[in-house]
Amino acid sequence: MNNHYLSKIKVRLVGFLLLMFCISATSFGQTQSVRGVVTSEGEPVPGALVMIKGTQKGTVTDIDGNYTVDAAAGDVLVISFVGYTTKEVAVVGGQTTINVTLDLSTSDLSEVVVVGYGSQIKKEVTGAIQSVSGKDLQDMPVSSVAQKLQGRLAGVQINQTTGKPGQGMNVRIRGQLSVSGGSSPLYVVDGFPITGDINQINPDEIEELTVLKDAASTSLYGSRAANGVILITTKRGKAGQTNVGLNVYTGFQKVPVEGRLEMMSAEEFATFKKESYEDAGNPVPEAFQNPAQYRDSNNDWYDAMLQTAPISSYNLTLTSNKERINTAVVAGVFTQDGVVVNSDYRRFSLRMNTDYQVSDKVNIGFNVAPNYVIDNTPRTDGSRGTGILFNALHTWPIMPIYDANGELTYFNTFPANTGNIYNYPNWVRSAEEITNETKQMNVLSNAFIAWKPIKGLNLQSSFSTEIRNSNYFWFNPSTATANINVSIPTVAVSIRENYQRLSWLNENIATYTKSINDHNFEALVGFSNQRYREDRTRIQADTYADDRLPTIQGAINVNRGGTNSGVEEWSLTSVFSRLTYNYKGKYLFTAAVRGDGSSRFGADNRWGVFPSTSVGWVLSDEEFLKSNSTISFTKLRASYGITGNNNIGNYTSYARVNNTINSVFGETVAPGAAVISLNNPNLGWETTAQFDLGLELGLWDDRVSFIYDFYTKNTTNLLYAVQIPQEAGFGNFNDNIGEIKFWGHEFSVNAIAVNTSNFRWNINANISFNRNEVVELAEGIDRVYGTYHITQVGQPFGQFYGLVKEGYYMDAEDLANSPQVPGRSTVGSIKMRDVNGDGIITYGGDNDDRAILGNPFPDFVYGMVNNFTWKNFDASVTLSGSEGNQLWMRHLYSTANLDGVFNMVRKANDRFRSPEDPGEGYFGTTVGGGNVTGVERDWNSSHFLFDASYLTVRNITIGYSFKNLGKSIKSARIYASGQNMWVFTNYWGGSNPEVSMQDNGAGDGGNLSPGVDLSGYPVPRTITFGANINF
Amino acid sequence: MKKYIIAIATASILLTSCEDFLTVIPETELTSNTFFKTRTDFEQAVNAAYAPLRAITTERSWLLSEMHSDNTYYGRNPNFGAVDPQEDLADFSVLVSNGTNPNTHLLNQWRQDYLIIARTNQILALIDGVDFDATAKANVRGQALFLRAYAYFELARYWGSVPLHLTPVGGRDEAALPLSTEDEVYAQIIKDLVEAVPLLPKRSAQQLGRVTEGAARTLLANVYINRKQWAEAEQILAPVISSGEYSLMGSYDMAFSDNAANKNNSESVFEVQYLEGAAGFQNDIIYRMMPRPLLAAELKPITGTNNTQSLDGEGNNIPTPDIIAAYEPGDTRKDASIAWVFLSSSERIDKNYPYIKKFAKKHSQHGNTGTNFHIFRYAEVLLFMAEILNEQGKTGEAAGYLNQIRTRAGLAATTAAGQAEMREAIFKERRVELAFENKRWFDIQRTDRIQEIIVPLGQRIVANPADYYYPPRAVPRQNVFTNLNKFYPYPADESNLSPYF
Repeated sequence: MNNHYLSKIKVRLVGFLLLMFCISATSFGQTQSVRGVVTSEGEPVPGALVMIKGTQKGTVTDIDGNYTVDAAAGDVLVISFVGYTTKEVAVVGGQTTINVTLDLSTSDLSEVVVVGYGSQIKKEVTGAIQSVSGKDLQDMPVSSVAQKLQGRLAGVQINQTTGKPGQGMNVRIRGQLSVSGGSSPLYVVDGFPITGDINQINPDEIEELTVLKDAASTSLYGSRAANGVILITTKRGKAGQTNVGLNVYTGFQKVPVEGRLEMMSAEEFATFKKESYEDAGNPVPEAFQNPAQYRDSNNDWYDAMLQTAPISSYNLTLTSNKERINTAVVAGVFTQDGVVVNSDYRRFSLRMNTDYQVSDKVNIGFNVAPNYVIDNTPRTDGSRGTGILFNALHTWPIMPIYDANGELTYFNTFPANTGNIYNYPNWVRSAEEITNETKQMNVLSNAFIAWKPIKGLNLQSSFSTEIRNSNYFWFNPSTATANINVSIPTVAVSIRENYQRLSWLNENIATYTKSINDHNFEALVGFSNQRYREDRTRIQADTYADDRLPTIQGAINVNRGGTNSGVEEWSLTSVFSRLTYNYKGKYLFTAAVRGDGSSRFGADNRWGVFPSTSVGWVLSDEEFLKSNSTISFTKLRASYGITGNNNIGNYTSYARVNNTINSVFGETVAPGAAVISLNNPNLGWETTAQFDLGLELGLWDDRVSFIYDFYTKNTTNLLYAVQIPQEAGFGNFNDNIGEIKFWGHEFSVNAIAVNTSNFRWNINANISFNRNEVVELAEGIDRVYGTYHITQVGQPFGQFYGLVKEGYYMDAEDLANSPQVPGRSTVGSIKMRDVNGDGIITYGGDNDDRAILGNPFPDFVYGMVNNFTWKNFDASVTLSGSEGNQLWMRHLYSTANLDGVFNMVRKANDRFRSPEDPGEGYFGTTVGGGNVTGVERDWNSSHFLFDASYLTVRNITIGYSFKNLGKSIKSARIYASGQNMWVFTNYWGGSNPEVSMQDNGAGDGGNLSPGVDLSGYPVPRTITFGANINF
Repeated sequence: MKKYIIAIATASILLTSCEDFLTVIPETELTSNTFFKTRTDFEQAVNAAYAPLRAITTERSWLLSEMHSDNTYYGRNPNFGAVDPQEDLADFSVLVSNGTNPNTHLLNQWRQDYLIIARTNQILALIDGVDFDATAKANVRGQALFLRAYAYFELARYWGSVPLHLTPVGGRDEAALPLSTEDEVYAQIIKDLVEAVPLLPKRSAQQLGRVTEGAARTLLANVYINRKQWAEAEQILAPVISSGEYSLMGSYDMAFSDNAANKNNSESVFEVQYLEGAAGFQNDIIYRMMPRPLLAAELKPITGTNNTQSLDGEGNNIPTPDIIAAYEPGDTRKDASIAWVFLSSSERIDKNYPYIKKFAKKHSQHGNTGTNFHIFRYAEVLLFMAEILNEQGKTGEAAGYLNQIRTRAGLAATTAAGQAEMREAIFKERRVELAFENKRWFDIQRTDRIQEIIVPLGQRIVANPADYYYPPRAVPRQNVFTNLNKFYPYPADESNLSPYF
């Protein structure tokens, strides 16, 4: 296993050896001896080059930073070292001691970065990649690394779709999408492509994270690379050092009141009801005759679901790299209570990485990282009836949360003549009494042996395993329900679902490095086998005699339909190779190819080949730019390659026979079986061909560095269940069809705005523009519908779709002169645009008036990280934002149901009541009942669509470092950190403008239906205090 | 040289093991490569072909045929939206746009029928290639032919011309077929049933609940009646009556199955099979037909369940005043078929609603009954025969069959004289005897009486909405009774996918 520290040392050694060779070849002249110490930040710099300018003469500093060189007066010493800014010092006559202080290089071009299957000097990288150091992320008080990355990566959009602890991060690299294949990037931990969720990995274990964006950098991951790759390198010891670190923080989370959806108070609701009866000319039910009676008895059901919740993290780290053993151990405890009552998340994790240098030629290593995660969250998210937060939001505020004794009520209802058609259980009870818990045990482990039989050749063989076992337990006691209108007591139900998952990988790689004069080569070949298996058992039981004993045997019924088991399995065999060549580190070339054979692909299409090539040119090494004092670095690079997406399901190519389509004859159940899908032996991966053009620029000695990338991608062979007429007996045929075109621009800049001895301000900013267009779907199919979306040829993917809202029919004349919905339009009802001009508003069918309404994807996303240091203080401010994206405020179909069935958004106070009192033009008349109001409520239209651009102050941290703490403590720092401090947005439908959800409450609306707001788990503001102490 | 041999040998081992490594067969499901090899496979396959009948019966048939007639209507509840698909069927307001409509019930009826067809096509295409016991094979073939014919008969009555799939679809290219004419579809139905009759065992030799020779004869007779092929109908149906396999139950209410008891009784020719309990074969049709909103306390006396829950939404398939009035005085079938329930939450002034009683049997869990639903009863066989004979001028013989039905209902013999009067008497008798059994629309349709019966119904509803369960603040929609076509428009979603319609 190569890691970049080893590589860094290798680079240093190569430099050292080269230099020794040069020096020995150089004759000594008539000069004086000059000596000195090279230091940086008070520490000696060993191995730095001290050269006399314009000659081949020079030396290298020893372990304590000392050097001695013979130089004549007037010579100029050039002192350089990887990672530091090169310094020139003139030798004044008679001067014998010259001590030099090197500054850390502002750019890290000479740093080594992790790339797929190895590492590379950053300057020589020809692909589009970006790295983030774990150290830069450590202060953020969140559970997962994805949350910490928000705003930091150009070209990567990271949305937190739900605030459930430990869940809901949606990561898309370069806007990658697929109709039905997965679109999440491939995560590779220390060389092992994992099948699980990176949310479960303790972020403190991460040393560095690299995002591979273009095909050149990802193609070695072949059929899994099209969504981009994120490489995670875990901690290793630093050469010659032993360090013990303790990182702790603790604090609290809260959902700010500002930004929540404003609902009517009890008095407002009663007033609304009273007015709607009056406007319809109907008698006002007694409950609403005097709205003022509710003034002091408001019930904010949503607020009752929330709590201020603690969060804490404790990490103890040991790293040591001495006497041929390199060890890193990280132990972590993370506990977070959710801001919704009875939700919490606990993670206990350990990682032990150990490498041992057996001999000069043989190196072995072992990594093992177990963790245990307990996650308990009520079913907060989902559509009306299933998501309890949505249910709470629209429960009548005149219904009491607590009874006269201060106990939570069980059930609320009002007489039918009040328009109440549902019985509402107490949602706080639902959250508190229903168990919805997952316990997971995850173990990532890896062992490798590396052998260097001859100079330049490294043979490495590794075996990795990933075990993920989880136990899910749901218990709905008879006293609670998450569903609207279910009577209490209800039928108690338990669900137990166990998963056992094992993934293993064997990988064998040979790397050969060779330099001939100025020609530098590296060749890599390898092959690997990976296999995954998941065993699942689910048992559903109901009708419990006693809620205290939710065992399986305690149930009267075992639910046949909900009790089942399953196996999911896949295998992948791969061969891969890469050739890297450069001339003088100036002209760069890389070619790579991977062949993947996958069990998921159809029998006649088992193997896919994924090649890529890239070139780079370091212009700043050319003579014409070398002397330029402004431009310190320039590189142009270009890449092209083909990658695949194999997230097509494990058995999609088979014609499956379902043998549970049973029938009954008399009282006897007869087993039945039917073919339920069509087979496709040619089914394969989705193919993405990507071109990338990049420019990297360093100015003023790299004080400002700038990276620009332009890319275009074409994804073809999209996995798609092509709908076929069901007269065939099947609904679809799984095929590789269609084409989507993507293109985009990414800019990132890193600048040291201020750099004085006491104060330093570093700005790192990025902005990305991602676009896509559907070029082709299946033959004869030019559009695919989601519930609120359309994906249509010639248009961007997943656009919002519906009728175009024009406003309301303001008076009889307006009504008479406007197109209407026959029989349903009245004065004050919603007015839609007659798109097809036939004089009638029609929803669906052949005279459809629906049109594309908007876009869930942003025009651009951006982020900015500011780091400040002033004396012993440090501070950072992280911002991230998105501009031009829209959200579908789906919950309005209930939270603005004009029939008065539910509580309503406060804005509905200003609805249309009469031509004289037309309101603010946002909600229509209540008169006419469902026949009239249903058009506004039940038909998808731009009524539901809102701009959701936002700028979030993601994190603010202020820290103070103590100096001179004595021998035992190397360093100590305390800090305060605030996460999700402020969200600036015009979106009013809820507190999280990043929300995206499916009706069943699953986060991430899916590819065809992104950007739907069903009022999910809110994302809290978190304030914590912490300390980092190193011993 | 040796080196190369080793290299080649190693490579070939790697490559062969590679194919094995990459072949991962689903462990929890069979695939078509491994199925359709044994007798058991075909028996399971035909069992699965019955399965869609349950969904058709509980979810669609009564909407498309009974509520789409003068027998039942919906109980308007203005607090609920998204009820247009049902209301459009009852109101004869299914809009036709280029021959199609997106109504979800039409779509699902279509799809479920074609599911039966695809499953039976698989069986019929492959069964001859597998060698097993001839009697068992004939039985499976006969059942498959019957089920395919029944599915096409439904399609022919709802849509007329439909795509005629007779072999399994293998890929995307074969999925859509052009429309075959109504005559072509009927020709195939008759061909299948003629073939099925000798293959199928008699009722006494067949597992109860499966298709029998008698069922195939009755279905074929029904098809001939629709085609007005009276002589063929008589010839095919007569053995059902003479077989002695079937008889009327002693009283009308006994004809309808209770949960476990009384299923597949001697009056049953073919019925859709359900099973009470958690296994997933339950019937909930009576819940779908209850007037709403209905409180748990109001429902409990009807269902007698342990965990009764209230029902909201809009009630469907509520008996109209017309059907209630259609029973002659003294007809015992009236009280067996219809009862009344008080809805305290209703917005109507009169909160008493009729509901369909004949299927409402007591059971233990809410929403879960084991009541079977008839496709054909022996009573209908007798009425078929009466009609067949009368249409052939044998009015006197017809009266005998009609009177068997009337006698059991507690009524005097028919007074109808002459073919025309007898035709009318049989038509009326079918309405009350087979009320709520999804026969009424087809009777109106096949006798070309749509204008005669449905137009006045529409006028009555518009004139007196309160009689048809509208509460004071609701009125019939503007487009009611605007589409009195014989056939439904094609499902829009299917039309979008097919180049042929």
